[in-house]
This record gives sequence, C-alpha cells and structure tokens, in this order.
Amino acid sequence: MAVTTTPHDVIPASYAEAPPARPRLLVLATSLASAAMAMGFIGLHSVYIADRADRLATGERWLPDGVNIPLTQPNFMGLTLAFSVVTIWWAVSATRSDDRANSVLAFAISLLFAFAYLAQTAYLFTIMEIEILADERAVLLYGIIGTHLVMAVAAMVFAIVMALRTIGGDYNSRDYEGVLSAAIFWTMMVAMYGVMWYVIYITK
Amino acid sequence: MALTETRPADTGSDGADLAALPSFTPDGFLGSVDHKPIGRMFVGGGIIFLLAGLVIGAIGAVESFDGSGFQIARDADEFAQIWSISRDLAVFGGLVPILIGIGLYIVPLQIGAPSLAFARGASGAFWTWLLGTGLLIVAYLLNGGPGGGRRDFVVLWACSLAMMIGAAVWALIVLASTILGARTVGMTMDRMPFTSWAYFMFSLHAIFSLPIVMGELLLALLRVRYGHLDITETASLTGVLDGVGLAPSIYWLGLPALGVAADVIGAHTGFPILQRRLTMVAITVFQLLAFGQDLVGMATERTIDFDNVLLVVGLLAAPLPVVAILGLGGNSLRQGTLRVKAALVAVLLSGLLLLAATVVSLLGLVEPVMGYLDELFPGSVDMTNSLVLNGTTFHEGIRGLVMAAALLAVIGALHHWAPKIWGRSLAEPMGLLSIALAAGGGLVWGLGEVGAGFADQPWYPASVDTTGGQEAFGVIAILGIALLAGSAALVGGNVVSVVAGRKPAGTSAADWSGLTLEWATASPPPLGNFPAPPIVSSATPLADGELAYDGLTSESDGGAGSEDTSEDDAGEES
Repeated sequence: MAVTTTPHDVIPASYAEAPPARPRLLVLATSLASAAMAMGFIGLHSVYIADRADRLATGERWLPDGVNIPLTQPNFMGLTLAFSVVTIWWAVSATRSDDRANSVLAFAISLLFAFAYLAQTAYLFTIMEIEILADERAVLLYGIIGTHLVMAVAAMVFAIVMALRTIGGDYNSRDYEGVLSAAIFWTMMVAMYGVMWYVIYITK
Repeated sequence: MALTETRPADTGSDGADLAALPSFTPDGFLGSVDHKPIGRMFVGGGIIFLLAGLVIGAIGAVESFDGSGFQIARDADEFAQIWSISRDLAVFGGLVPILIGIGLYIVPLQIGAPSLAFARGASGAFWTWLLGTGLLIVAYLLNGGPGGGRRDFVVLWACSLAMMIGAAVWALIVLASTILGARTVGMTMDRMPFTSWAYFMFSLHAIFSLPIVMGELLLALLRVRYGHLDITETASLTGVLDGVGLAPSIYWLGLPALGVAADVIGAHTGFPILQRRLTMVAITVFQLLAFGQDLVGMATERTIDFDNVLLVVGLLAAPLPVVAILGLGGNSLRQGTLRVKAALVAVLLSGLLLLAATVVSLLGLVEPVMGYLDELFPGSVDMTNSLVLNGTTFHEGIRGLVMAAALLAVIGALHHWAPKIWGRSLAEPMGLLSIALAAGGGLVWGLGEVGAGFADQPWYPASVDTTGGQEAFGVIAILGIALLAGSAALVGGNVVSVVAGRKPAGTSAADWSGLTLEWATASPPPLGNFPAPPIVSSATPLADGELAYDGLTSESDGGAGSEDTSEDDAGEES
C-alpha cells in the first residue's frame, strides 16, 4: 500500500470543479431538534398522566377543589394554532413560488395567530384559579403549559428570523430551506399543543 | 469552515498550504468553525471532569461502605451530595463529553465531510456544557444539589445539569445532521465506517431519550422552587438520573465502544470485519434495546419489573449484539495479521467488559421472573429464597462495568486516532498501563458492587448495614473506582505529554493500516479536512485501493510521516 500520495490525484477534475452538493442540513437539524423537543414534552405528559392515575387510584379528584379548567379557551387556542399551521405552510408555498409579498403576509398572519395563542393562554391562567404555590399539581400544569409557551415563542422567533431573511432575499424558489425549517418546527409545536389539549384540557 | 457557509475560494495551492493549521486567535478559540478544535476541547475538558468525578466517587464509596457512621460527610444529606456530584461529573461532565468530542473530531473525517454541519452550533454546545458544568460545581459548593440545604442552589443544580444535558443533545444533533446530510459522494449510509454508524445511533439515542431527563429536571426545579419539595427532602432528587443510570438504558454509553471496536480491529488486523451489515444491525439493535427502558421509564417507576416487557426484552437480548460484534471481531483477529497495540487491546477489553455488564444484568431479572411465576402458579416459588438484587448496589456494579467499557473505548479511540487528533502517537507503555487500570478497575468495581448487592447493601447507601459483610465488598469497589480514576489520570497525562510536545513528532502510516477515509488526509487534517471532496465507492476505500495514504504527519509537526517510529517514540516517552 502506498504511503503517500497527492490528494488531488484521487479527485476527478470534473468533480473538483463542480459546486459542492448542498443538502438540506438546516431541515435535518430542525427535524432532529423538533423530535428532541417532542420527546421532552411527551415525557412531561407521561409524568402528568402517571401522577394523575396514582391520585385517581386513591379515590381523590385530580384537580384541587375550586379549580376549573374551561374548554372554550383551549378549543379556540387549538383552532388558532391549527389555522397558523395553514398560514406557515402558505409562507413556504409562497417562498417556493418567489412570491415574496404573500410569503411575508403569511408569516405575519402566522405570528398574529401565535400571539393570539399566547394571549389566550394568559387569559386562561387568570380564570383557572390554580396557584402554583398552593398545590403540587399546579407545578405539573404550569410546567407543561409553560414549556409549550416557550416552544411557541421559540417558533415565533424562528419564523421572524426567516421572514426577515426572506424579505432580505435570502430565500426564494431555489433555496427555501430556512422557511421550510421554520414551518417544520412550527408544525411540531402545534402538534404538541394537540397532545397537551387532549391530556390536560380534555381529560383534565 | 461550516457547511452552511460559502466554501473558501480554492487557493490553488499544493497540499502543504492546505495542511497548515490555522494559527491561534481568540475568536477562533471561542467560536471555532472547525470541528477539530471543538472536539479536542470536549475531550480535554471531559478528561478533567471525569477524573474529578471518579475521585469524588471513590470518596463517596469509602463513606458508603464505612459502617461506623458518617466519617467524611457530616450527615446523610451531605453524603447524598457527594454521591450525586460524582455521578453527575463522571457521566455528563466526563464520559459523555469525551465521547462527543471524539465523535465531533473523527466522524466528519470518516464520512468525508469538510466540517460539521453547524460548527458554530457545536462550539456553542461546548461552551454551554462548560458553563453548565461550572455552575453545577458552584451549586454543590454552595450547598445545593440533591441533599442540599439551600433552595436557590438546588434550583441552580437542576438548571446547570439541564444545561449540560441540553448541550450534549445539541452537539449530537449537529453530529447526526452532519452524518445525514454532509457525507461525501459515494458514502452511502451502509458504507459508513462502524464508528460513524455507532455515533449516529448514539446521537439518535441521546436526541430521543435525554430530553425526557431534562423534562424531569424541569419538574424537579419547579417543585423545589415553589416549595412543594421540602428542603430537607431534596436527597430524593438523586433519582432524577436513574433513567439513564439503570440497565439497559446505561448501555447507551457503550454504543460508541462497539463502533470503535469494529473499526480498530479491522485496522489493526488488516482484515476488515466481513459482515458489515450484520455489524451495523447489531449496533442498531443494541441501541434499540437500550432505548426500550427510556420508553418504559416515561410513564412508570424506573424499577426492573417483569411487567415491563420492553425492559425485560432489553435486558435479555442485550448480550446478543455484543456477542455478535465480538465474534465478528474475533474472526478478523484470527484471519488477519495481529499487531498488538494499545488501541486494539483497549477496544477488545472494552467489548468484553460491555459483555460482562450485559450478562451480569441478567441477574436482576431473577426476582421479577420468580415473582411472575409465583403469580402464574401460586406457591410454586419460594420467594423468600429468591435472589433479590434490585434496589441494591448491584445497579452500581453494572454502571461501573459500563463506565469502564466506555473509558476503555475512549482510550482505544484516542490511541488509534491520536495521529489524526494531535499529529503524534500517544505513548504505548503509558497507554497499556491506563488500559490495565481501567479494565482491572472496572472489573473490580463491578464485582465489588455486585457482591455487596448479593449481601443486600442498599443501592442508595445512606443507611449502611454492615451485618452482612458488605464492607469487604466495599473495599473491593473502592479499589476499583480508584483504579479507574488512576486510569483517567494516566490518559490525561498521556494526552498532555503529547499536546505539550514532549513526545517527538512522527508516526507510521503503514503501521496503522487505517482503512477508512480519515486516513486519506494529513494528520492533523487541514481546515476543510480534504483538499477536495473525496469520492468513494466502498466502505474501506484505502483497503480497496481507491485512495492512498497522504502521510500521517502534517508539515507543522516537522515533516512527513516517517516509517515505524511510533514504538520508538513510545520507548523514549517511557
């Protein structure tokens, strides 16, 4: 076996001159990060379900007396986020079509929906009447809902950055990787709301 | 160079210019976009904290097996802090970052990538991990952590540990993205070197399981912060890491060992492992079996229970993939040309210790199986005489064996790839001594703890019962941990002697017979790794004559690789 060689010798000239392949690394990384986020979030829910089952097995109620979680707000929050999934993918579609105006509009509406979700959650906190200091169950509730709020804010920041880059002309029909990544993260965030909606707001 | 950035213009220069390492700058140090310094920093930092964790672990073991009350710690809570910090530092401060560092350095080279997919992300992960580790130590020093008496610093412990784990997940997301999206032309997934495949599995496992632990830390943090966990009861928080500390979850630490072993055996025998796909399947199965416990642990108590099918299957089947890889490696040893090097010895012993861990773990199934049979056929089993190991130091013995296996894999990897990482070989005699200490230490630690488990020594050992002769086993376990700490110290010394330049430069390319792509570039590789993207059409391009060695020593180390100098160097070092 030869001990030394010139590395250029092993590279065909035609390939060496070709531009490097540019795989969708940001999409891959975002998908993996979204999966990690989902696992953490589902893990929190499993603790919630296990604690709830243990308490119900003793014959006690799960929620403390006087605490009420209405369904109206969670349902509308879910609808709001579901609409935002449509608009965030509209942003992807518009970017793929080099329609920058529609792309920016879609980002803006998605962010508006997300802001509405944050506002509705804040309102829900005020009417749930469960004090985090008063009961350990509140830790689970606020821990899970708060984690989802953080995820929503992260998705909003991601979308804002990608919207600005789209405005700046970084993304277009040839390269819309960042917008697609933001949409993937956003969709995962909304899917996690679906889990939370069923486990916390429906089954309570 | 990050892959998300524009490639630097081809200078049109020759290999010598490309081989020149970038000079040190503060900006390059803090926010390096080259995977190699980031990997080296992870390895260096990890060795320091691993040593610290093992030394503190030995102190904790002395306290644990001393039946005459608390001698070192002032009370049970302080003992819980010692016990906990040793585990935090040894695993997430030491072994995990070292394994990550080796992966960040070697994997891009093995798959022909010019760098990591998000090199700045990896750099950010390193600094986050370092900050988290520093804060963790501060939290313990200020009476925080499990058993801590100050609420704010118990909260700080949870935050800092979450930072460390989060940084590990972050770095491994970068690594997995690189493997998925930055492989060179022709490097299909099934042509990836075994180390890269094992790191892919290692990364996926971390990405899917460690966030669960982070979620538990978040809840612990909130419980402590809002007063739902009394400050006198924080010792119970030691259980937060049980999810990754019990078999089969802890086998996750041994995943890279399997890949490194397969690659090193192939390189050092000149006879690559024949059944590539079977080896990759075995590594994948080992990962899946370890992951089963994480799924089980998400919703149930993290105890070995025969009702937990995934867990039982994980324990029962875990030895099989290890046996498969050792068997295939044995075939290479038999048919190849055996050259006894520290790297080869280390990975072989690593595999054997991992096998020992998976086999000894089976003893933990006796109690639940007997219980299950007793349920099916009431009165058929005398449960009072059943072997009860769960809840004893038996778990700690398994952890010791797996940690020693992982440390041996680290030693093997560092010896095998030292020419790549530092441009020089590590000293063989010092390496062999560190291997002997690690293998002996792991075995002694494991046997001591398992033996004490047979004598009913409780796992979380605040309450010590000395009536069953546990102290004798305890002394054995303490000796084992001390040997392992000695091994870590020797590894650190060996690396420092190379980095400090006491060891002469130069190593032999032919002596190493590397078969995979990382050996087709200079050592250490230049910025960008390869002058141009290599193209491969087989899993072992160097063995198949597609590519040839490019000399193992860069110009910065004083010349091209000289033949057969590694052993001479080792001799001079010793």
